[in-house]
Amino acid sequence: MLRRTVRRDRMVGLFAAGALLFNPPILNLIGGTVFGWPALYLYIFGVWIALIAAAAFILEQGSDNEERRPDETRR
Amino acid sequence: MSQHLIIIAAVAYLILLFAVAYLVEHTGGRVSRLTGSSLVYTLSLAVYCSSWTFNGGVGRASQSGLDFLPIYLGPTLAFCLGPIVIRRMLKISHAHRITSIADLIGARFGKSGGLAALVTIIAVIGLVPYIALQLKSISSGFAVLSASGEAADVGTKPVLTDGALWSAIVLTVFAMLFGSRSIHPREHHPGMVVAVALESILKLISLTAIGLFIGYGLFNGFGDLFSKAAAIPDIRSIFAHSPDRYGYNWIAMTLLAMVAVFCLPRQFQIMVVENVDERHLNRALWLFPLYLLAINLFVLPIAIAGRMMLPTDTDPDNLVLAVPLASGYPIVALIAFLGGLSAAASMVVVETTALSLMVCNDVVMPALLRVKALGLERKADLTSLLLWVRRLVMIGVMGLGYLYMRHDSAQFALVSIGLMSFVAVAQFAPAIIGGLFWRGATKAGAFAGISTGFLVWVYTLLFPSFARSGALTMDFIAHGPFGIALLKPYALFGLQGLDPVTHSTFWSLIANVGCFVGVSLAGRQSPVERAHAAMFVEAVHPGDAAQIWRRTALIPDLMSLASRFLGREKAASAYAEWAAKRGLDARTVVQADTQTVLFYERLLAGVIGAASARVLVDAIVEEEPLGVDEIMRILDETSRVIEANRQLEEKSRALEAATAELKEANDRLQLLDRLKDDFVATVNHELRTPLSSIRAFSEILRDHPDLTLGERHEFLRIVITESERLTRLINQLLDLSKIEASGTVPRADVPVDLATIARESAAALDQVFATNGVALHLEIETPSALVLGDHDRLVQVLINLLGNAAKFALPGSGHAHLTLSRTGNTFELAVGDNGPGIRQKDRKVVFERFRQLGDTMNDKPHGAGLGLAISQRIVMQHGGRIWIEESRFGGALFKVSLPCAPSKGRRAKAKALQNAAVS
Repeated sequence: MLRRTVRRDRMVGLFAAGALLFNPPILNLIGGTVFGWPALYLYIFGVWIALIAAAAFILEQGSDNEERRPDETRR
Repeated sequence: MSQHLIIIAAVAYLILLFAVAYLVEHTGGRVSRLTGSSLVYTLSLAVYCSSWTFNGGVGRASQSGLDFLPIYLGPTLAFCLGPIVIRRMLKISHAHRITSIADLIGARFGKSGGLAALVTIIAVIGLVPYIALQLKSISSGFAVLSASGEAADVGTKPVLTDGALWSAIVLTVFAMLFGSRSIHPREHHPGMVVAVALESILKLISLTAIGLFIGYGLFNGFGDLFSKAAAIPDIRSIFAHSPDRYGYNWIAMTLLAMVAVFCLPRQFQIMVVENVDERHLNRALWLFPLYLLAINLFVLPIAIAGRMMLPTDTDPDNLVLAVPLASGYPIVALIAFLGGLSAAASMVVVETTALSLMVCNDVVMPALLRVKALGLERKADLTSLLLWVRRLVMIGVMGLGYLYMRHDSAQFALVSIGLMSFVAVAQFAPAIIGGLFWRGATKAGAFAGISTGFLVWVYTLLFPSFARSGALTMDFIAHGPFGIALLKPYALFGLQGLDPVTHSTFWSLIANVGCFVGVSLAGRQSPVERAHAAMFVEAVHPGDAAQIWRRTALIPDLMSLASRFLGREKAASAYAEWAAKRGLDARTVVQADTQTVLFYERLLAGVIGAASARVLVDAIVEEEPLGVDEIMRILDETSRVIEANRQLEEKSRALEAATAELKEANDRLQLLDRLKDDFVATVNHELRTPLSSIRAFSEILRDHPDLTLGERHEFLRIVITESERLTRLINQLLDLSKIEASGTVPRADVPVDLATIARESAAALDQVFATNGVALHLEIETPSALVLGDHDRLVQVLINLLGNAAKFALPGSGHAHLTLSRTGNTFELAVGDNGPGIRQKDRKVVFERFRQLGDTMNDKPHGAGLGLAISQRIVMQHGGRIWIEESRFGGALFKVSLPCAPSKGRRAKAKALQNAAVS
């Protein structure tokens, strides 16, 4: 099972990457059209889905074990 | 399309939703278990997508392209930090039974009622425009659909024929049915959650259906749509490459959306309060962003299609409805309307529920409870009062929203109104994040930060919105108050080039964070505040911190207090559960301890908020207020007791060890004492025996002069032998005492040859062996065996061993052997015989002084019993050892091992080293 701190650190990394890629100035580097589609539209949704996939991968790894563990957090 | 049809569809749809909610709350089985799923939790989180998303997003996209997206990218980024921020919010809120954002902030800063009330008031003021937005969206949608053609001026129609009023009324009733039907100790509304989740599915399906309808029904796929759009210069320019298209505005919107996703009261309600299992968050952290992505996928295509197909004066916020309507598909338009209705209804229901909880718990109830004249403290059942307060608050909030819509919102696009609310709730973020992660955050700091930020918001966003709608003069915006240009609300201190929202975000958050951090750093925390900070920042369980307040009360008092707000049954069952968990007997315990008082306070906090619960419980609790000194003393005492306890344990361990040592020493002393007695007795006996025989024979010689010469000689020989024995005995005793006293014998540190020693010793005892009739075999396996040592002492050892062998070998047919061999770096001398041998248990004790085997009473001792003791000491001083084995002939086999002498060179070196060490 992925340790919780490792998972947390990876999510923070994901946040940093997302904050960078979704904001100017990097955002302003994209423009024009690709095969008739707006390049920015493709870029944002592409990065978005990649980010979500990475998050899903990080969060679901080993989460089955966690499901089975008795709930200790609420006493 | 006829108005009646639309109304019937809308009402039927709302009734369907209510039926679902009713089923969830009133029937067991599969339906009610729906709330326990992470999917339902995620879908209910999508209450974030209100009609702002549904209608406003498309409107925004049709005007300026993709900059509706930061509102959804922000939450995606915020959820990446979910494992840190949101998880902690969940944990703390569950532990403290926090039921709203005002409760959370109030509870963090010392259960401050004032702070909670401030947050509540700001939330209400900040969210009224947001609720107005939903009403506006529904009524204008209704207007477009019913083809009244007056969509643009909803605010100007007579009140009674205004669709917005009716939708407000219907939604209020709906919200009251969902959100305030009964009091639940944790403020869970499972029916509402499932209904919201269902609405989230419907709005997603609806928007996707319209997207697909436009893409494939009106165009030949999205590629076709985009390429046709690219032919229009206006639209093409939106997507053209441009280095500074998106700047601060984009960043500000992302930031606002990031904090809004957990600061909005409805998001907090769904995400934290309605959460039944913290593990659901894990999946929601990626599934909710996925939902956001899915619902936004077709926004841009729909917007572009609308821009191409419709006249430019169409209200952009109605594009979703207008496109299918204009292309002749009223049914698709109806689906779109129901989707927008879903979005608005779920937002309004959850938001008013959350706001009514906040207003009731943090403003109205604390105020009512303080008014003694009402006598609320003596009322038996307050649950219905609570419910009615909440319902009235819902009506009030809705009414404010309606008024705002009629008077102020007509000129604004949906997105601008929504963003205004976002900036308002963003003022809570510094206090929440600081409160959760920074111990030093103080109540005064939070108060200063939130109120300053809010005032800046009012000045830079709310007042100008009044001005634009005519309530204030436009001069206020254009030239600033009293013509002071530096104070222009859209260009405060001359900051220009930002849109109003970004401008306000910047100034309000700067002021907020600045005051929050500055006042916190400058001020001091009270002890109670510090305890709360520790509870929140270190996620300490409240029970662990309970000892900071020593509070006691009578259970019946607490019980009657709880039943007034929860109802008797719920209060009793909650207490029974608690008592069972703590192992208390619910019927006999009367005095509630600190923990139980805290339990009741949290139970009440779940219903009426932390601040009110504190006030109520304090009224019946005997509290001993603790100052800093006392808290420090408690902590100090505790640590001192722990330290003392630890030392005590250590000491007792040491004592045990010492006792064991003493016991051992005592045993050894007793043994030595016995041995000493034996020794004295034996010495006495051993010395007396030869003495008495000498004396006896001497007297015979004196008294009998007539003895023959042979007899005389014989007697004199005996006297001499006995004298020699006596001398030998005394010598041995002297030897032993010398060895034992100094621990060393004068030892010639020269190489001696063990082989020579063995031969000498054997030769010396030749006569003895011959006399006893014992044959001695000498086996010397090494030509020379050099050891370092004292020649005479080693001879002494061997003679002693050989003498014993001669003595104990079978008389007549006895044989003994002496072998010398080398194993590794040691030489081994072995002396064996075929005598009776030595029993296993005696093999150690024979080396003790005067230890003679056999029965001393019957057997005549064969020696003084000092030989082996001396031998052992000599061998040990030569760095060797002596032990006994079983001889292959059945008798005893004494073995002596001695280390080889080092070679010449090494010896010289060792000597040099030794000398160096000595000098």
